[in-house]
Amino acid sequence: MTAIAVKRPRALSFGNLWISAGIIAVLLLYPVFFGKAMNFGVSTVLFAGFAMAWNILGGWAGQTSLGHAALLGVGAYTMTLLAIPERGPAWLHSVGIGSGAAIAPWWGILAGMVLAVLLSLVWGSLTFRLQGSYFTLSSIAVALILRLVAINEDFTGGSQGLFMPDLPTFFGLDLFDRRVEYGLAVGFVVITLIVTHIIRRSRTGYALQAVREDEDGARALGIDPARMKLIAFAISAALTALGGGLYAIYLQAFEPHTLLELPLSVQIALMAIIGGRTSLQGPVIGAVVLAVFGEVFRNLFSSANLLIYGVLILVVTLFAPGGIMGLFSRRGRRLGTAR
Amino acid sequence: MTALNAVTAPLLEARNVRVQFGGNVAVHDISLSARAGEIVGLIGPNGAGKTTLFNALSGFVRPAGGTVLYDGRDITRLTPQARARLGMARTFQVERPFEDLSVLENVMVASFLRHRGHKAEDLAYSVLERVGLSDRATQPAAELNLARRRRLELAKALALEPRLLFLDEVIAGLNPPAQAEMIVLIQQLADSGLAIIMVEHIMQVIMTLSNHVVCMAFGELLAEGDPKFVANHPDVIRAYLGEDDD
Repeated sequence: MTAIAVKRPRALSFGNLWISAGIIAVLLLYPVFFGKAMNFGVSTVLFAGFAMAWNILGGWAGQTSLGHAALLGVGAYTMTLLAIPERGPAWLHSVGIGSGAAIAPWWGILAGMVLAVLLSLVWGSLTFRLQGSYFTLSSIAVALILRLVAINEDFTGGSQGLFMPDLPTFFGLDLFDRRVEYGLAVGFVVITLIVTHIIRRSRTGYALQAVREDEDGARALGIDPARMKLIAFAISAALTALGGGLYAIYLQAFEPHTLLELPLSVQIALMAIIGGRTSLQGPVIGAVVLAVFGEVFRNLFSSANLLIYGVLILVVTLFAPGGIMGLFSRRGRRLGTAR
Repeated sequence: MTALNAVTAPLLEARNVRVQFGGNVAVHDISLSARAGEIVGLIGPNGAGKTTLFNALSGFVRPAGGTVLYDGRDITRLTPQARARLGMARTFQVERPFEDLSVLENVMVASFLRHRGHKAEDLAYSVLERVGLSDRATQPAAELNLARRRRLELAKALALEPRLLFLDEVIAGLNPPAQAEMIVLIQQLADSGLAIIMVEHIMQVIMTLSNHVVCMAFGELLAEGDPKFVANHPDVIRAYLGEDDD
C-alpha cells in the first residue's frame, strides 16, 4: 500500500450524460441545416425514441420483442380515435363517458399509454413464463392478433385505417407543422434518454441486468425475474405508446397494413441491436444509421432496402455483437461500468 | 425466547426431505439442521445428491416430500427469491457471475436487497474488501479466474446479509494458499454468527471446519455426527474407497 490513498471505485452513476447531451444537441441542430428534409427528420427521431423504448425490454431485461408495433399501434389508434368525435367520443358518450366532443391529443396519448401498459402486463404475465426465443415468437403472435382486430373491426376503420382531419393547437402551435412535430419527437427521445439514465443508476437497472445475464443467479439474490421483466415491459410499452401517438400525428392518416406489420417491429428491434443494446444511447445511434442507410439505398435500389437491412444484420452479428456503440465502448458507455 | 433457546433452536431444520426426478429418487428422506454459528458439512461421493439437497433447501427444486423450516417457519414451498429475502444465501457449484457487469456491480445486485443508493454501493465494496477482491472492483466479472470467481460468489451471498449460508464446493479446485484463505474466511463467518451448511469434497477441509458432518451416498443418509465419527464410520470408508472384495 502506498501512502497515497487509493481512490475507491464507484459504480453507482447515471452513466455518461455527456453523450446524451451531445445527441440532443445534434438533434436540435438538425432543422437548422436540413430544414427541407423535415419528414425524414421527424420519422427518424421518432424511431430513435422507439428503439430506446424497445431497448428497456430488449437490452436491459434481455427480452427480444418483435411485437412492438402492437404497442405503437395502441398509442396511435387510441389517440386518433379519441381525436375524431364521430368515432371515439361519440361511442364513449353513448356509454355515458364524456361529452361526445373530440378529446385533445395529449389526453388521447395518455390514454393510449395506459392501455399499452395494461396490454403489456397481460401479455407479459402470459408469455414471460416462456424462456428465450419463445417470448420473441409469442410477441409476433400478439402483434398479428392486434393487426387482425384492427383490420376486421369497424371502429378502427378496418383495412383503410384512420384519418385525422384536424387537431386542436398545442399551446398555440399547429400540430401538423413539421417543425412542431420535430420538436415533440426530440422531446420524446429526451424522455426515453432520461428514463434510461434513471434506470442505469437504480436498483431496478441492476436487477434487470442480473435477470438478463442469469435468471437463477438473480433469484438466488432475492430478485423475482418475472416481476422485473414485467416492470421493464410496462415502461417500454408506455414509452412506445407515447411515441405511437406522436407518430399518428405525423402520419395524420395511417392504415393497419403499415402500422401494425411485422417489418415495423423488426425495424425497431434492429435499430436497437445495430446501435448496441447494451449501451445506453446505442439505439439512437442505430436508428439514425439505419434511417440514413435506408434513405440512401432506397433512392439507389428502390426496394432493395430490406436486402441492405439483411446484410447489416449479418455484419453486426458477426463482427460487432455489441452493436456500433460496442465498437467504441470503454468504461461508462456500456450499461454497466465494465468494459 | 430464553437465551438457552436462542442458542439451541436450529435456524434451519430439514425434516425427511425427499427429491424425486420422475421415478428417480435423488434425495431419500434426509433430515439435517443448522444453528447460528455452526458449520454443517455435507459430504458424499459424486452423485450422492448433495447439490440436489442444496437446491431443495434453497428453493430451486421442489421436494416431493418432507418439510424445511427456517426460524421455525415452514418454507418448503417458498421461491428462492423469497428465501433470499428471509436471510438465506447460497453459492453455486458452477459459479454464475453476471459476466457483463463489473465485480463491484455484481455484488451490488445483491446488496440492493436490503439497501438503497450509496449505502448499497458501500456495503458491496466492504464485502469485496472482506473477501479480498476490492482491487478487482472495476474489472468485468467475465475476466476473473476461478479462485476469484469463487470469492465473487461468496461476496454476492454475503452482500445479502444472510443469517444462513449454503456453500456449494467453494474450496475444491483452488490452489493450497487460496484454500487456506477461504478456510479462514469461512471460520470467521461462522464465528460472527452465521449458520453455514457446506458441501465439500476435500475431507481435510470438512474435518477442520465442520461442527457436524452429514454423509450421503446414492441419495441416502450414510452417517452423521461429529467429523471424527463420520470419517471413521465403516460405511463412509466403504463409500469413498469402494467395496473390499477379499
